[in-house]
Amino acid sequence: MSKSQTVQPASVAGARKSFPARDAFLQFGVLWAFVIVLIGAAIVYPRVFEPTNLKNILSQAAPVGIVSVGMTFVMIGGGFDLSVGSIFALGAVVFAHLADPLGLWGAAGAVLIACVICGVINGLIVTKLHVNPFVATLGTGSVFGGYAFIYSHSAPQVPNDFNFQYIGTENWFGWPISIYLLIVIFLIGAFALARSVYGRSIYAIGGNTEAARLSGIPVDLLRGSTYVMTAICAGIGGIILSSRLGVGQADMGGTTSLDSIAIVVIGGTSLLGGEGAMWRTAVGLLIIGTLTNVFDALAVNNNYQLVAKGVIVIGAVALDIYARRMRT
Amino acid sequence: MQALATQSTDDTGLALRAVGVEKRYSGTYALKGVDVEAKTGTIHALVGENGAGKSTFLGIIAGRVVPTNGSVEIFGKPHVFGAPRQARRLGIATIYQELTIVPALSAQANVFLGQPLSQAGLLDERGMRRRFEELAAQMSVTIRPDAVAGRLSVADQQMLEIMRGVQSGARLILFDEPTTSLAPPEREALFRLMRKLRAEGATMMFVSHNLEEVLDISDVVTVFRDGQLSGSAPRADWTKPSLIRAMVGHDVVEYRRVERKAPARGAAPLLSAKAVSVPGAIEAVDLSVQPGEILGIGGLVGSGRTSLLRALAGLEPRSTGELAVNGEGVAWPLTPRAALRAGIVLVPEDRKAQGLVLGMSAMDNIAIARFSEVSRFGVISGRRVAESARRVAREFGFAENRIGATVRNLSGGNQQKVLLGKARFREPRILLVDEPTRGIDVGAKDEIMATLRRLADDGLGIIVVSSDLEEVVAASDRIIVMSEGRKVAEIDQSAAPAKVQDILNAAFKVMTHE
Repeated sequence: MSKSQTVQPASVAGARKSFPARDAFLQFGVLWAFVIVLIGAAIVYPRVFEPTNLKNILSQAAPVGIVSVGMTFVMIGGGFDLSVGSIFALGAVVFAHLADPLGLWGAAGAVLIACVICGVINGLIVTKLHVNPFVATLGTGSVFGGYAFIYSHSAPQVPNDFNFQYIGTENWFGWPISIYLLIVIFLIGAFALARSVYGRSIYAIGGNTEAARLSGIPVDLLRGSTYVMTAICAGIGGIILSSRLGVGQADMGGTTSLDSIAIVVIGGTSLLGGEGAMWRTAVGLLIIGTLTNVFDALAVNNNYQLVAKGVIVIGAVALDIYARRMRT
Repeated sequence: MQALATQSTDDTGLALRAVGVEKRYSGTYALKGVDVEAKTGTIHALVGENGAGKSTFLGIIAGRVVPTNGSVEIFGKPHVFGAPRQARRLGIATIYQELTIVPALSAQANVFLGQPLSQAGLLDERGMRRRFEELAAQMSVTIRPDAVAGRLSVADQQMLEIMRGVQSGARLILFDEPTTSLAPPEREALFRLMRKLRAEGATMMFVSHNLEEVLDISDVVTVFRDGQLSGSAPRADWTKPSLIRAMVGHDVVEYRRVERKAPARGAAPLLSAKAVSVPGAIEAVDLSVQPGEILGIGGLVGSGRTSLLRALAGLEPRSTGELAVNGEGVAWPLTPRAALRAGIVLVPEDRKAQGLVLGMSAMDNIAIARFSEVSRFGVISGRRVAESARRVAREFGFAENRIGATVRNLSGGNQQKVLLGKARFREPRILLVDEPTRGIDVGAKDEIMATLRRLADDGLGIIVVSSDLEEVVAASDRIIVMSEGRKVAEIDQSAAPAKVQDILNAAFKVMTHE
């Protein structure tokens, strides 16, 4: 039995030990970035931490934040969804259009159905037709977005029912309802991702699809389901935004797809799948939300904001790739 | 091949001189200062256990890995690290295990990749064709220049890479485990080519786990252990046992066949498969496994042995056959999930590509095999994951305190243990094991063979496929031999142990008849 004992040291030595300090920096780099953003924000805009402003940041971030919860699942599962912006807009116009005839709950139910259909279409194209997710959702994004315009006859949908703006503008205990929705959806997402069989399976699928399949995980079903979840999240985001503005418009999706992907990526979730976490997306959202808020408060031209966000996204991805190279 | 013969510019006659080469990866030494010299016109083998440092060393010579310390001279000139182009300029070509062929291009275009012949800025197709044919003739290679590279066999693709190296004027050719995916005749062809290149003045250095081929082809064998040189001497001074001793630091009996009591021949076999066919790969193969029996499948590359295993595991959607488990008929599995439901678990050949989620911890890798055991209402219990993983780790001789380690950072042997542990955690009735010891060192090989025997003693039925026929003979109670998609022989080892030659005879008899 001396065999295993003498063999052991070699294999232990062969496995690399880590440099705790540097690894921690690389792993939690996004937190440091967040701290820097907070300090910078406090310096240039001292009122940033006042409760009114915090409410402002969070309720502004709620629609895209909810979308990025779903996007986190898609991306950890090794996928990508460029169609969420269109689904977001479709949700907004359907909700606004049907609020009068069906009531708020009926309209929300209709949005849910529409989003599930969109998500299932995305999931089937990616898993059954084996179309690359980038191309698949680029295509379906065009289809869903086009349909949102057709459905609304390219006209803003303005419901008469005054209650329509309830979700987007009312407060509970002094805080906007959209913030509660954002937090609840984040918590559900975080729990499902970290602690459920579903979440662990998504990590396995994104990390090594073949190994997941051989382990008996229903790969196509679960991967497809992440697109359905993201579509539902996009629908909820669309409901919140149209409710806040009191109007549903087919061009509301705008940059939602890229923004939500940027938020997930800034948090440090890998573009390659298999790695990431919901808290990362939360931090990514807070970074982008705070920056947008401060830029707006300082009246920075929107075009400069776009440039700054682009630089941040590239920096985040470069850091992720650098960290990955250091580990292997 | 004047490029090879004339250029021995330095006086020492050394193709390579490495002094005090050291490599540290985030605090751990992969190489702790080694000195290696290689004379021009020799074949130099690097051997050692996994993690011993031989591949790191090869990477440094190839110019891909930058050493932390030390110096390397190539043909008397200082080596430039981290710049593959510079390495090429110094006359180094490297043939990696993962070949760098561009599949969509022609064989000829691959040979001239990155250095096409041109005239006045235009590609000189005719000149390249002529040169390709010259090279092919010189190296006794029969590959059509316009063949699509991606459709060639692995052996032919490897030949193309060697041709590319020679064409670029390489005088020092490095091979990283060149024979792992080659069949015996292809292996022979490669060795013939290596000898030919040596006769023309080229120097070669290769990493291998196969000690027989090391002793067969090399002039000098250098053994690494634990990041240091454990020995370096001309081939004549080595024997297989002395090599193993230098590698692991003590004697290991390789492929010792352990007598097992013959499994009970019950009325119903644990698994019985009839008329298994996969279009284009295997035809009407019957096999059965008793509880507690290890069935080996022998055969050459391309004989259908892997297809047979994949079909049983539900990985061949076009396969057909009849399956009975414990005497009860079961629908033929067309998906891995169906096979798993029937109690059939596959331990795949490529643990990195198919077996493990490298970014996950060892315990999570084990847990994904059977979530129902570690969760309730879809919620995973971290405590139960850790408990289950610890139990599996104890059973498979894997350090319990490392179950939280990311699988990517484990050695090959430990990864293989996690893979087997994961399959075990699924509680299969039949275990299909594809190439259980590929790419792992001698010591860990022995442990894994012992594990398979122990699982069989627990009543599992085990089917082992390996390209290493000695391993098949050592591991199994009964062997079926495959050739050209058919079962051509069945050898029962309970009476007398078989020899590798028996399997080869059975396999080749069919081939020579046709």
